[in-house]
Amino acid sequence: MKLRHSLVDLLVIACLLQACAFSRGTLGDEIQSDVTTTIQKGTTTKEEVLHLLGAPDRLLALNGRDVFQYYRYDAKAGSLLLIALNFTRLSIKSDDLFIILDRDGIVEDVISSNRTKDLKFRFWPFGD
Amino acid sequence: MTNDWKAVCVFFLAAMLGLSTPGCNVVRITLNTPITPADIAFIIPGRTTLAEVVAKLGAPDSITDSDTGLVATYRFLDLKYSRVNLGWLAKPWTPVDPDLIFSRTGLGVDAFEVLCDAKWVVLHQGFQRHLFRPPFHPYPFQPLRLSSPNKLRPFSGLVIMASHG
Repeated sequence: MKLRHSLVDLLVIACLLQACAFSRGTLGDEIQSDVTTTIQKGTTTKEEVLHLLGAPDRLLALNGRDVFQYYRYDAKAGSLLLIALNFTRLSIKSDDLFIILDRDGIVEDVISSNRTKDLKFRFWPFGD
Repeated sequence: MTNDWKAVCVFFLAAMLGLSTPGCNVVRITLNTPITPADIAFIIPGRTTLAEVVAKLGAPDSITDSDTGLVATYRFLDLKYSRVNLGWLAKPWTPVDPDLIFSRTGLGVDAFEVLCDAKWVVLHQGFQRHLFRPPFHPYPFQPLRLSSPNKLRPFSGLVIMASHG
């Protein structure tokens, strides 16, 4: 009896669920945390930063100091296509790394975030 | 034909019709996690440093230069789109394929900005806009509710005016 109910439920779900879709898009290279941990405040030079991470995505001037910005975007989309109703949710998050260099070209501060780590495929558009 | 079979046939007929054109779409796009006033309650202008802000909120999306120091900006977006095709309801009874579509997009773009001095101590902080979070509402003729900073987001401090190149 339970098996029959399960089969009927499965049949109903299969009929209601027209299709589902997963999509993903990324912009930029992944910022590797093991590389960023090797960058030490007060000792690592601009040349070493460039050697480790490559050319920055953005170069800013901040009160006489150079700031290298590296970023990466990750987007995950899930679509649930039902008979009369479609749900789509696209979530985009970014990883940013700022390396602040003093006037002598030595790393003064490192600011980083890894938001894409918790990015998941979601279908349900309501709520948070 | 029993009632059960009739119900099954009606269900499959509806399913076949529905497969050709879905009636409603609900789409949501979010960029980063929206920051709420509760998230920034710990910031005390004149005392909190940028390092403490970064420790709590993560790295900003951009840092720009200013006369007094720097401006760190956290951007976030919450877009809601809903669409309903009422013509879909008439589809079983008409030989043509009628459409009566209502749709609406709510674009909730906001940014949280932190102005710091040369020693990276927070001078001012504030949201760039005070948009209410748009609801899923496909009816397009209802006027847009204007946001009111006093009602929607408790805010203390000056609004930062910064240009972004």
